[in-house]
Amino acid sequence: MDLRLSEDQRLIAESAADFLADAAAMPATRAAADGDAGIDAKLWQGIAELGWCGVHLPEDHGGLGLGPIELALLQEQMGRRLACVPFLDSALAAALLSDVDRDSALAARWLPALAAGRSIATLCTEPGGARAWQDGAQWRVQGRWSPVGSAAQAELLLLPARVDGDGTVLLAVPRRSAGLQVRELSTIDRTRRSAEVVAAEPVALDADACLARGRALGDALARWRALAAVALAAEQVGVAQQCLDLSVAYTQERQQFGRAVASFQAVKHRCAQMMVLLESARSAVYGAAARLADAPAVRERDMVAALALVEAHEAALFCAQEAIQLHGGVGFTWEYDPHLYFKRAQANSQRLGASSVWLEHVAALLLDEVAT
Amino acid sequence: MNLHESAADNSFRAEVQAWMRANLTRDFDALKGVNGPGAPAYDAALAKRWEQRMAAGGWVGIGWPRAVGGRELPLSQQVVFHEEYVRAGGPGRIGHIGETLLAPTLIAYGTPEQRARFLPGILGGTEYWAQGYSEPGAGSDLAAVATRAERNAEGPDGQWVLHGQKVWTSWAHESDWIFVLARTEPGSQRHQGLTLLLVPLRQPGIEVRPIRQITGSAEFNEVFFDGARTEGSLHLGAVGQGWKVAMALLGFERGASTLGQQAHFQHELELLIEVAKANGAARDAVLRQRIARAALGLHTLRFNALRVLGAEDGAAPPPAAMISKYAWSNWHRALGQLAVDVLGAAGNIDDGDARHRDLQTLWLTSRADTIYAGTNEIQLNLIAERALGMPR
Repeated sequence: MDLRLSEDQRLIAESAADFLADAAAMPATRAAADGDAGIDAKLWQGIAELGWCGVHLPEDHGGLGLGPIELALLQEQMGRRLACVPFLDSALAAALLSDVDRDSALAARWLPALAAGRSIATLCTEPGGARAWQDGAQWRVQGRWSPVGSAAQAELLLLPARVDGDGTVLLAVPRRSAGLQVRELSTIDRTRRSAEVVAAEPVALDADACLARGRALGDALARWRALAAVALAAEQVGVAQQCLDLSVAYTQERQQFGRAVASFQAVKHRCAQMMVLLESARSAVYGAAARLADAPAVRERDMVAALALVEAHEAALFCAQEAIQLHGGVGFTWEYDPHLYFKRAQANSQRLGASSVWLEHVAALLLDEVAT
Repeated sequence: MNLHESAADNSFRAEVQAWMRANLTRDFDALKGVNGPGAPAYDAALAKRWEQRMAAGGWVGIGWPRAVGGRELPLSQQVVFHEEYVRAGGPGRIGHIGETLLAPTLIAYGTPEQRARFLPGILGGTEYWAQGYSEPGAGSDLAAVATRAERNAEGPDGQWVLHGQKVWTSWAHESDWIFVLARTEPGSQRHQGLTLLLVPLRQPGIEVRPIRQITGSAEFNEVFFDGARTEGSLHLGAVGQGWKVAMALLGFERGASTLGQQAHFQHELELLIEVAKANGAARDAVLRQRIARAALGLHTLRFNALRVLGAEDGAAPPPAAMISKYAWSNWHRALGQLAVDVLGAAGNIDDGDARHRDLQTLWLTSRADTIYAGTNEIQLNLIAERALGMPR
């Protein structure tokens, strides 16, 4: 019983770090962030060839059949480089599709393409005011979903909508469906895009578009949220790590009062505190991923997911803030990198609901008498 | 990575549970759940009888090599033991300085005669040890040690004669022996010329004065050496190499028992939650978030410890080990503050409720955690310099 990486896991993490240090170097990421496509196409190609997009998907759908641990290790490295690719959105959408609908023709059509990185998917979990209904054999959907991560880059959108009498359905919506509009939003973090998806008039979908509904959908989304939390938390660990590395390197190099500023105790202690939060978050993420791999009971699943996310947000937000501070004046410039991490850390911290929401869920588990 | 427990570990867990149920009862009821250091209810004489009961059950030295009388249990079972011990309400261990600090150092650096002489007393719960490191002028800066020891040319066997003062010496008033870091080379500086000496505590040359703590009780002491003596052969490791041995001893402090400590923290958290539910604090929006955060933080400490435990002996300490002391002590101190915040105004009064008193004690005792065994400030220096490679 321990949390050391296995030999294979260490290899995955190290080779990902090596590959991304080169393939997702900052000039390429900045160029992609400045571009209109919102994706570093060359990097995506490389990632697809390495098979990462299917790391967590079953082998019969072209995946590698590994689990949350390996997904987290890859996501950590991508966070470190702010890789400008829709990996997180697509991998998580594929995970949900595989969970709710793995034996259908639709899954057989999409999952191998998603696993190979030939296609990109994304999802939204909030139906908002969207409505869906059946019209003969077909489905119709109308509504607005926003923000939807990487929607402008995706070909397949998984979108929820309310139906009369039976709660919510999750629909597989091809981005090119007639009448569907996707408008990119002006995200503060330009390394990761989001879009608004609008079906102003009813959009027609195939008969097999409904992936899940009602209680089964609710359960699947709860499982998905735990996986998504751990993957996102892993990304935040990567963000925090890079902020610490940049800060230590810069303060060693920067001289003031005739010595490296890294030799001042006020600076050393700040970096040490960054490391405390970073390594705590890493322990939380690895532990949570290892537990999710064992499919624990609902209460524990929700606890470890919250734990990973809350710790990782705290680490990333603190480390990004202090990276700007420890770089001094240049930390406030566009030219230096800390602001890119600062923006990503903040955007991530709101993606799956704020930490306060997760903490309230944990508080309810611990403090309220609830029927389970 | 895996967090499964093997079948063997599982049945070992049941064995520990059964033993604790059968033994921590009747005479020992008064010790149940009593934390030890600083806990006002701690009965030292009874705690020693408990050590002897533990020894008879084979629960002392479970990780030591068989050759010196230990059980050589695998790490996973040591973890299980410590967890179940605390879960069953096992009291703070009065013998822990001997068992977890001195004994491993004796095994690594002691002579065969020293091992034969001292290990049985530790294993049997009949001899207790105190740690003589800190001095009034040598706290965080331990290398400033000024207590001196000289060979007595006239005495038998080149006896050592000690002069000086140690401070913050836990359980010196209940111990039989003390290991003392002393300057044995006159005029030597800093880390040089130090020797770790094994000294009997009950002798005319030693005076022990209790220090009253912020809890009101007195668990640690000042120890004065004024011509105290010990045998010439009772230096642990080579003469003049005391710094190296003293540091190695501190290295034994980590390990399986940290998970026992966390099981104890879990008890405290559960008590806090019970009180919060009873007095309405659990409905306060801000306190709810803090309680949830504390619970998650404890879970993180456990995962962090599991990253440390997997590390190979002798390798450079992994990052998770470097942050461990700072992380747990600050978590625990924050829990202490949360405890009195949950009590609210009632926390200002000793109302006789044992649960309230335990939380008040937690609030105070947890202040020590960020000071002893390397203060927060020293821990941050170590992290910055050793883990991050920042200049001294």
